[in-house]
Amino acid sequence: MAINLRKGQTINLRKEDNDLSKITIGLGWKVRQKGGLLGMFGGKEPEYDLDAVALLLDENDKIKNIGGVNLIGSDVIFYHNLKHPTGLVYHSGDNIVGGTGESDDEQIVVLLSSLPQDYHRIMFVVSIYQGMTKKQNFGMIDNAYIRAVDGNGKEMFRYSLDSDPTYQGKCTMVFGDVRRDGRSWKFSAVGDAYPTDSFVHIAQNHLYT
Amino acid sequence: MAINLTKGQRVDVTLKKICVGLGWDPAADGMDYDLDASAFMIGSNGKCLSEDFFVYFNNPKSKDGAVESSGDDRTGGSSEGDDETLSVEIDKIDSRVEQILFVVTIYDYENRKQNFGQVKNSFIRIYNTLNNEELCRYDLEEDFSVESAIEFGRLYRRGGEWRFEAMGNGYRGGLEALVTKYI
Repeated sequence: MAINLRKGQTINLRKEDNDLSKITIGLGWKVRQKGGLLGMFGGKEPEYDLDAVALLLDENDKIKNIGGVNLIGSDVIFYHNLKHPTGLVYHSGDNIVGGTGESDDEQIVVLLSSLPQDYHRIMFVVSIYQGMTKKQNFGMIDNAYIRAVDGNGKEMFRYSLDSDPTYQGKCTMVFGDVRRDGRSWKFSAVGDAYPTDSFVHIAQNHLYT
Repeated sequence: MAINLTKGQRVDVTLKKICVGLGWDPAADGMDYDLDASAFMIGSNGKCLSEDFFVYFNNPKSKDGAVESSGDDRTGGSSEGDDETLSVEIDKIDSRVEQILFVVTIYDYENRKQNFGQVKNSFIRIYNTLNNEELCRYDLEEDFSVESAIEFGRLYRRGGEWRFEAMGNGYRGGLEALVTKYI
């Protein structure tokens, strides 16, 4: 380093390597507030139901194992397939209404260091369940975020889903991915949103035909 | 509609929340380009109030909570938009802060022999978070071909108001040079 910091300074201009033996994807959002115009007239406002999804991809960037009926037992980890057959990728369970918006309401954990060599990339996706029919989008949801945390509990990246106007009309976002990088893994934030409310549309681009 | 400010131009910021967005394309091959957006919250003596008011990759939030980073993107991802953002909540800014200086630097530029001229589609912009309206934008690849650190712009107090000034001062010393200057 070419810099001489004064005594007592704690600024560290080196980046510590993230511990990618394990990665946790956390998704949080605030429960829909009751009331409003529809509430006054006795109508029922639908809740916001966000889902975190992980796609495990092979060396061809494809989903090798599509499992049985409706992706059960497959390389896609989501609300109906909470645990990967290897046991090394697991979902905390489906939250259909949200929470306080302060902490994770859904989590996906991947034990990267033990993952078999067949898996080269894991894509993390967040969708609003039936968001298109309910005319919902990320911009409407209070305190919605998705974040990636490394094996030391250090937050590597966070997107605030509620504040970016480019998410208008979009109900699915590819949040980021981890890829093999030599013997280790590398996390990249992506942040590309799509006008669909089903992660299946993203998964379809990664199927063997 | 973006206002592309030339150096030294000023705009009034009658905004509640603004965002600094930094984007670039990943390297096609070879070493990654790792760009960083940072902010110095500076008091009346021209220096950062304290280390807690220097927001960078190892300190993602200022002590007063006014400036917050989305996190450290080390490759440029594959997003068409911002790869890193700094959000600023005007109402939370500590009363001792006279100006907030926004900088963009290249991490490890010396070892990797990199400068902004090599980084494809690199830009830094500042925009109103509510309507995505840009106050200012620089194309780093074209405007700063040999530099590795840029003082991109500053938000400063004038009377009871905040104003934004585009600066565009390039340096060759990376983030280290700016830390030496402002800490």
